[in-house]
Amino acid sequence: MDKDPQKGYIALLGWSLNAVEAAENFDRRYVVVAPEWAEEYCQKHNIPYVSWNFERLNDRSLEIAETLKSMGVDVAVPLYEETVEWAGAINSVLLDNPRLYGQSLLLRDKALMKRRAQLGGIRVGIFEEAHDKADVIRFLKRVNQTLLKLDGDPNDPIHLKAFDKAGCLGHRVIRTPDEVDSIPDEEFPVLMESHLDGWEFAVEAWIHNGKIAFLNISEYVTLGYSVFVPASPDLEAYRAQITAQIEKLIKAFDIEFGLIHPEYFVTSDGEMYFGEVAYRPPGFKVFELLERVYGFNAYQASMLVFDPKATAEEVATFFPREIEDANGYAGCFGVYPRRRVVSTLEIPQEVEDHPYFESHELTPPLEETVTKRTAFGTHWGLVYFKGPDAHQLRDLLKHQEDLDYYV
Amino acid sequence: MTAESDKLSGLLAMLDEATALLAAARDFAKPGKLPRVLDTARRVMLLPGGCAAVAARARTIEEAGVFAGSDWATPQILVPALTPHSLGSADAHTVVIEALSELRLLSVALGEYRHPQLPAEQAHHYLTQVIAINLHLLFGAPTEAERASQGKLALLPRNLFNYLTERIGYEHVIDQLIDEIWRMLQQRPIQVDSVKHMITQIASCQANPDIDLGSSGQGANRLVSALFSPTRGCAEDPGVAVYLERLHSMDPSGLQSEATGCARAMHDTGLVSPYHAVLLRFLLEQNDHLLAEALGLSATGRDCLLCYRDLVHALIHGCVQPDTAQAVYGLALMLERGILYQPAAAPALLRQLGLQLSAASRERLTLAFGNGVSPHARLMEGVLCMLGQPLGVGQGNNPTCQSARALSMWAYSDPDYLLQMVAWAARDNEIIMHFEGQPISSCASEGGLAATLPLDLDPVSLLVVPHLDRIYAEMGRRCIGREGDPHRWVNPEFHGWWSGRGFRINVDVASGQLADLDAFLRHFYASYHPYYNGGLPVIHPQPAGIAVTDSAARFVGWHAITLLRVNIDPGNTMRVYFYNPNNDSGQDWGDGVKVSTSGNGERFGESSLPFEEFLSRLYIFHYDPLEPGALADVAQEELDRVTALVHRSWGADRIPPTALQASVSPHA
Repeated sequence: MDKDPQKGYIALLGWSLNAVEAAENFDRRYVVVAPEWAEEYCQKHNIPYVSWNFERLNDRSLEIAETLKSMGVDVAVPLYEETVEWAGAINSVLLDNPRLYGQSLLLRDKALMKRRAQLGGIRVGIFEEAHDKADVIRFLKRVNQTLLKLDGDPNDPIHLKAFDKAGCLGHRVIRTPDEVDSIPDEEFPVLMESHLDGWEFAVEAWIHNGKIAFLNISEYVTLGYSVFVPASPDLEAYRAQITAQIEKLIKAFDIEFGLIHPEYFVTSDGEMYFGEVAYRPPGFKVFELLERVYGFNAYQASMLVFDPKATAEEVATFFPREIEDANGYAGCFGVYPRRRVVSTLEIPQEVEDHPYFESHELTPPLEETVTKRTAFGTHWGLVYFKGPDAHQLRDLLKHQEDLDYYV
Repeated sequence: MTAESDKLSGLLAMLDEATALLAAARDFAKPGKLPRVLDTARRVMLLPGGCAAVAARARTIEEAGVFAGSDWATPQILVPALTPHSLGSADAHTVVIEALSELRLLSVALGEYRHPQLPAEQAHHYLTQVIAINLHLLFGAPTEAERASQGKLALLPRNLFNYLTERIGYEHVIDQLIDEIWRMLQQRPIQVDSVKHMITQIASCQANPDIDLGSSGQGANRLVSALFSPTRGCAEDPGVAVYLERLHSMDPSGLQSEATGCARAMHDTGLVSPYHAVLLRFLLEQNDHLLAEALGLSATGRDCLLCYRDLVHALIHGCVQPDTAQAVYGLALMLERGILYQPAAAPALLRQLGLQLSAASRERLTLAFGNGVSPHARLMEGVLCMLGQPLGVGQGNNPTCQSARALSMWAYSDPDYLLQMVAWAARDNEIIMHFEGQPISSCASEGGLAATLPLDLDPVSLLVVPHLDRIYAEMGRRCIGREGDPHRWVNPEFHGWWSGRGFRINVDVASGQLADLDAFLRHFYASYHPYYNGGLPVIHPQPAGIAVTDSAARFVGWHAITLLRVNIDPGNTMRVYFYNPNNDSGQDWGDGVKVSTSGNGERFGESSLPFEEFLSRLYIFHYDPLEPGALADVAQEELDRVTALVHRSWGADRIPPTALQASVSPHA
C-alpha cells in the first residue's frame, strides 16, 4: 500500500509475519526490528528491516534507539512480552519521555504490577513472591487457612506464574504440598496467587490520548484451551463495570497510548479482581478472531494508537462500534493430544460436520509418544470456529475438550 | 439432500473467502493463508457435488496462488506417473493440491479455462493418462492399506476420479484409453513401461468380477494378450516357469506355432511378452529357422541373422530375459534394417557385449530401472532397441530435444558412431566432441539445458544424454557474441558432417520478428520439394527447427526435429515426413494443422504433414550450399497460403511493420 509520509513511521519490535503483513497493507511507513535470522527473509521479500538482538540489555541499548531516531522513526510497537521494555526504552528516547521506560518495567513484572494496581484502588487476589519451594508450601497453607479450611478438606489451589513471561507460559496450578516437588528449581523466583473461583476473561483495549478507543472483552471458556470474541451477552452485561476498571488501570499505570491486554476475574458476587496486564498483543490469535468478526486489523489498530501523529478523528473512524458491528462470534480451541501414544491427526467427524467449524492449523504428529504436560500453554495447534450464537459456540468449545484430535 | 447442499454451500462460502484471502495476501504471507484453502477444499471435495464446485472455481483457485512455488505451478511438466503417489499420500495437503490440479486441468481440457501454459488437448491427454494410471480409483473401494494410511481421506481421490470420468465421458474412458494406447504404440516408442502399466490396469479391471465395463474395453484384447498370453502355450497366463516346462515337452510343430504367435503379437503391437523372451532363449538350443520365425523376420532379417549367427546368439544370451523382453523387438528390427552389414557395426556390438560399465553408469541404471536385471543387460536392451527403432527415441520430460534428436539421427544413419558414444559415456563417463576444431569435454563443461539429471529415459539416453546436453550447451556458449542464430554453427558440428552448412532462418534473432519470409519459403522449396529440386530425395536426415503451436495455433516454443523424407503420400499429397523427439508426436498445432503419425504413409515413429502445412511451422533449416541455390519459382498463390498459415499462428505477433505495408500495397 502507498505510504503517507505525513503519518507516523513505526518500528515493529519482534518478528511476526501477521504484523508485517498488516503493516504492508497499512498507510504508515514501518520497519521491522528483529534478530538477524530474519534478515535473509526480509531481504528476499523486500521487507524494511533493522537487525537487533533483544536478548541482551546492555550499554549498547541506546544504539537501537539512536538508529531508529536517525531513520526518522516516530514510535516503536512491541509485539512480544520480551520486547515490551525495549519499546519503553526506545520510546522514551523517540518521544523524549523518560517515564515511558519506568512504565514498561512496571508492565513487565507481575508482582510490581499487582502492587501498583493495588495502590490504584484496584482489587487483586492474595499474592506473594516465592524464592524457593518452602515459600510455596507456606503460601499454600496460609491461603487455605484464610479460607477456613480444616485439615483433610481439599485445598483450594494456588497459581504459580513466572514474573516476566507471556500468558500461560510457566503457569502451574498447585493443590498439595507434594506437587511442589515437581517444580524445577530454575523456575524460581515465581509469583504466587490465590485461586479465584469465578469467571475469567481478558480485555483488549486500544488507548489513544489516555482514553479508550476500542474495548473488546475476550471470554475464556477454559483457561489455556479456548477463547472467543466478542464475549457472550452474559459477560457483556458487565461492560460498564469493566470499562470503569480499565479506566482505573489507565490512570494507575498512567497509560497515554497503546494496546493493553489485562486479565480479570468476576466472582459470583459480581466483584472484579485484577489478574495482570500486558502491553502487547494477546496470544491465542485473538487478533485474528477480532478480524473475523469486526473486519478491522488489530495490528493496524495498534500501530494507529501508538502513532503520535494519529489524530483523534482518524482513530474514531478506524474502529467499528463495539458489539453492534460484530457479524457473529469467533473462537478458537487449542488442541492437546489426550492419549499417551498417537499416530495420526484426525479431525473428529462431528467437528468437520459442524457448521461453526472454519479451519485448523494442526499438523500431523512428529512423534508418537506425547510428552507429559506440566504447564499450560503448549498446545499443538488451534482450531477455529465461528457462528451466530455465543452460547452454542461456548458449549462447542467446551465440548472440544472431550474430543480426540490425535489418535 | 438439502442438508448436504446447505453444508456444501456453507463450505463453499468459506472456500471462496479463504481463496480471496490467499489471493489478496502478499507473496511472503501466502504460505500462511494456504492451509486454510487446502483444508476447506478438502472438506468440499469430500461432499457430493464438491468436485464440480471446485472445478468451477479452478481458475480463481490457481490465480490466488495455490500452486505458486510448487511443481503444480507449471502444469506442462507434470508427470502422470507421479499422481498415484501424491493421491495416495498420507498427507492431506498433498492429496488436496494434486486433486485441485486435476480439477483445474479438467477445466482447461473442457475449454472452460484457457490456461496460459497448457493447451486444452494437452490437458485432456494428460488427464486420460492420469485416469488410466489410477483406474483402480474408479472401480472398487479403498484397500486396507489406503484406509490405514489415509482414513476418510481415501474417499477424496475416488470422488475426484468419478467426477473426472463423468465429465470426460464415463463409458468412453476405457475405449478412449485403448485408442490412446494404440495411437502411442503406432509410433513404436522405445519406452513402453507406462503403456504396459496401463494395459495391466485394464486387464485387472477386466478380470475383476465387481467391475462392469459393459461393452467397452473390447479393443484391449490384442493388447492384453500381446503382453500376458500371446500364444496357445500361455493362453491362461501360467507364469514363465510353467511355460518353460511346456516348451520342453512340445513337438516341432507346437514350437513353430509358439514362435509364430509370439512374433505376430510383437509385430502387431510393438510390445513383447515376457513369455517371448523365455521362448527365444529356449530356441537358442533348437534351430535357427525357429529363431528367425520367433523374431518374425522377413528374408532380409533372416539373411542377416544367418550371416551374424554367433553375434545374435551372444546378444540373446547377454540380454534377453523376461524383464528385458523389449530387447527382442529391438533385435528383430535391427536385423531387418540390415545395419549389421556395415563393417563397423558387428564389432562395435561385440565391444558393447563385453563393455565394462563404470560404477556411476551402473548406479544410474539401477536407480532408474531397479536391480531386477543387471545394468549391463539393461543397457544392451536399450542399445538393441535404439538401433532397431531409431525413431522411437523420446526426450522424456526434459528440455533435451537436441540430444534426443542426435541419438535418433545417429541410430538411423550412423549406428557405429552411436555405439562409440555409448561406450564413452557408459565406460568412461566422458564424451569429447569437437567444435570448429576445439575439443569440448562433457566433464569440463558447465551445466546443460536440463537443470537436473533426467531419469525418465531409455537406458541409452539415460547414460548419454547428460553428456550430450552439456556439450550442446557449451557449443552454444562458444557462439555467444556471434551475430544470428547459434544453431547455424552448432547443428552441423553436433549432429554430423551431413547436416548442411547452409542455414536459413526466418526470424530476426534480435527482434523476434519474421524476416525475409518469402525468400525463406522459396529456398525451402528449392532445397526439399521434389518438384523444385530436380526430384532429389532427402539423403541424410537433416536437423530443422519448428515453432510449435498449440491447438489454438498459439506459439508454444521452439523445438528440434529431424527432416526425414519428402514424398507423395497414398492420397497424392506431397508430405514432409519427420522425426519429433517429443514422446508423443500426434499433436494438433491449430488452424487445421494436425500432425499425423499413421495412415498417411508414415513409417513407425514418423510424423507427417502436408508440405505447405509443415513449412508454415518451420523456422530453421539446413541445406547444402554447394547445390544449386536458386530460389524456387513457386506459384505466388501457394506461397500466400503458407504465409497466411504463418501469420495466423506463431507469426501473428511477429509481423514486422514493413511486411504489413507490403501486403497492403500490391507491389512495393
